[in-house]
Amino acid sequence: MARKQKIAPVGKDTDMEVAYRIERFLAAEARALDEERYDDWLAMLDENIAYKMPIPMNTYRRNRPGKSSICETMIYDESFEKLKQRAAREDTGMVWLNDPATHHIRTITNIESFCTDEASVYDVRSKFTLLRARRDKDHISHTGTRKDLLHDTGNGLKLVARTVFLPARVIVDKNLNMFF
Amino acid sequence: MSKFDYNKLIDNEAALQSRSIFWEPEIYQEELKQIFNRCWLFLGHDSQIPEAGDFLRTYMGEDDVIVVRGEDGEVRAFLNACSHRGNKVCQAEWGKTKAFTCSYHGWAYDNMGELAAVPLEESIYDNLDRSKLGLVPVARVQNYKGMIFGTFAEEGPDLVEYLGDMAYYLDVVLDASPEGMELIGTPFRVEIPGNWKLPVENAIGDGYHVAWAHAGAMRVVGTIGQGRGETVLGIGKDNTGFDDSGQMQVAIPPHTILSTLDGQSGYALYDNPGPCIEYLEQVRPSVVERLGEVRGKQLLGSETHMGVFPNLQIIQGLNLLRVIHPKGPGAFEVATYSMADKNTPDEVKDIIVKHVGQTFGSAGILEGDDGDFTEAITHSPNGYATRQMKGWLGMAQGRTMDWEGPGEASPGIVNELCQREFYTQWQRTMLAESANDILPKAPVQKESANG
Repeated sequence: MARKQKIAPVGKDTDMEVAYRIERFLAAEARALDEERYDDWLAMLDENIAYKMPIPMNTYRRNRPGKSSICETMIYDESFEKLKQRAAREDTGMVWLNDPATHHIRTITNIESFCTDEASVYDVRSKFTLLRARRDKDHISHTGTRKDLLHDTGNGLKLVARTVFLPARVIVDKNLNMFF
Repeated sequence: MSKFDYNKLIDNEAALQSRSIFWEPEIYQEELKQIFNRCWLFLGHDSQIPEAGDFLRTYMGEDDVIVVRGEDGEVRAFLNACSHRGNKVCQAEWGKTKAFTCSYHGWAYDNMGELAAVPLEESIYDNLDRSKLGLVPVARVQNYKGMIFGTFAEEGPDLVEYLGDMAYYLDVVLDASPEGMELIGTPFRVEIPGNWKLPVENAIGDGYHVAWAHAGAMRVVGTIGQGRGETVLGIGKDNTGFDDSGQMQVAIPPHTILSTLDGQSGYALYDNPGPCIEYLEQVRPSVVERLGEVRGKQLLGSETHMGVFPNLQIIQGLNLLRVIHPKGPGAFEVATYSMADKNTPDEVKDIIVKHVGQTFGSAGILEGDDGDFTEAITHSPNGYATRQMKGWLGMAQGRTMDWEGPGEASPGIVNELCQREFYTQWQRTMLAESANDILPKAPVQKESANG
C-alpha cells in the first residue's frame, strides 16, 4: 500500500456511504478513547501511522527565519510503537494523576471526507473539543482541528496519519497526556 | 525593610521551609525585586539569534523582554514596552527585523533599541528628543560560551563571577567541542498552577520522586528497541532508587549539580540510544583531551542536572534546557528546549529532539506527572492551618563524599542536598541589601578528604 503524504486540498467529496462510515469510525474512535479502551483504539490504527501535533508558531506573517536554530517543533511526533508505549503507561495502574479516574469527553464535529489520488485513502478533516474533568474542579477543554488520512482496508478503516492542530502557544494545563 | 523574617521562613539547620513561601503574595512581590531584578537570568542562546536583526522574546521575572542582535552584531535586551505609553512593541515570539513598531501610535525602534521614527514627529512635537526615548535596556547582558544572560542590576557580580565554579560543570555541555552547544527548535511552553520554586528544585535535585511519582512512565520508557529491563538510572521495581555507589549531588553555591557519574546513563531513558551512545563514545577521547578525565569520562554522557540559580536547568542526557518563569505566586510557565553539541550528526539530533518531546515536552510522559503535587503544595496553603506547616528536606544532611571537582559533594542522586542549597540561596537573595550581596560571602572551602 502506498502511503503518500500528499494530502489533497479540499477535493472531491467521498460518496455518502464512505462519508457515513468515516463519521462512524471517528465517533467509535472517540468513544474507545473516552472509555480508556486503548487496545481497541490501537487496533484502529495503521502500524505505519504518523501521529503529529506541531507547536503553533507565533511569528509575524512575513517572518523570514534566516539562520536561527528555532524551527518547527512537534508536541507529538509519534510512531505506532510510541503510541503503544503511551497507552501502556496509562494501563500500568501507576499513573497517579488518573486515580481517581480522569474523565474525557471527545466531541468530533465538522467532519469532511475527501477523495485522494488513491482510491482507498481518504483525506478527512474534523474539529474536536476534548473536555477533561478530574478532581474537584479541574475542568479543562481543548479545542482544535485534525487532518487525518484513513485507509480503507479489507479489514475496515485504519488511521494512517493524523496531524492535530491545537491553537494554543502556551498550554495552560497540568499535562497533555491524552490522545487527540 | 521586609516585614518577613527570612531567617525564620527557611531554617537551614533543620532543613525546614515555611509553606507560606509558596503562597504569600507579598513574598512573591519581594522575590520579583530581590531575585528576578538582581540575579543573572538566562535569556537565550547565540544559536537562536545568529545574525543581525534576529530577535526572540522571553521573560525576566514577569517582565516581557526582547533579546535582539543589533545591526552592529551586539546582543542587547530591552523591556518590551514603548517609551510613549507602554504598549508592547513586539508581539512575535521570534524572528528577524530591522525595527520594532508599536501597534498603538506607530513609534518605531531600530534593532539596537533607539527610537528611530515617530509618525508626524515634526508637525506635532516641539519637545520630543528621540535620543532619550529608546527602549529601556536590561542593565547588563553578558555571554558565557554562547549562553546569553541578563540582569537588571547595575552593580553586583559580572556573569563569570556569578557562575563561578559552576562553569567547570557547564563546560561539559557548552565546551565539549570548539563549536559548542546549540538549542534546537521552538521551546515547549506550558503554564502550571504552582509556585515557580517547586519545579526548579524538583528538576535540579529531586532524585527521590522519580521512581514513585513517575512510576507509570518509568515502567515504559526505554522499552522499545533495547528491551530494557526493569531498571533505569539504578531505579527499578526492586530498587527504591537509593544508590550511593557512585552518584552524587554537589553544592556550588548558589548553583547545584546532580550526576550519575557513570558516563552513559543520560541515555538510559531513550528507546533507541544506540546512535547517541555511539556518537558519545566517538567524541569522548577528544573531550577527555579538552576537559580532562573527570569531566570527559565521569560527567560527559551521565545524567547530569545543572541548576543555575534562580530558574535555569540544563539537563545533560535528557539533553534539555528549561527555564521557569514566575506568573504570580500561584503559577509558572516552563519553557523547555532541546540541546545538543553543534557537531552532533543530524540523525542523533533528531533522536534527541523527539526524546525531549516524548519525555518532557508539553505532552511528555514524565512532564505531566508533576502537576498535581506542585499545585497542591502551592495552593493548599490557602488554608490558614496548612499555611503554618513546614516542608522538610533533611535527606542525606551531613553526608559528604570525596569528589575531585569543585563544590561540596554528597553521595547518591536520591538526596536533598541540591534542594536545600536552593532554599539557602533563596534566603540569601531575599535577605540581600543589594546585588552585591547575592553570592555567598566567602568561597566554600572543600572539606578535608575524609569529611
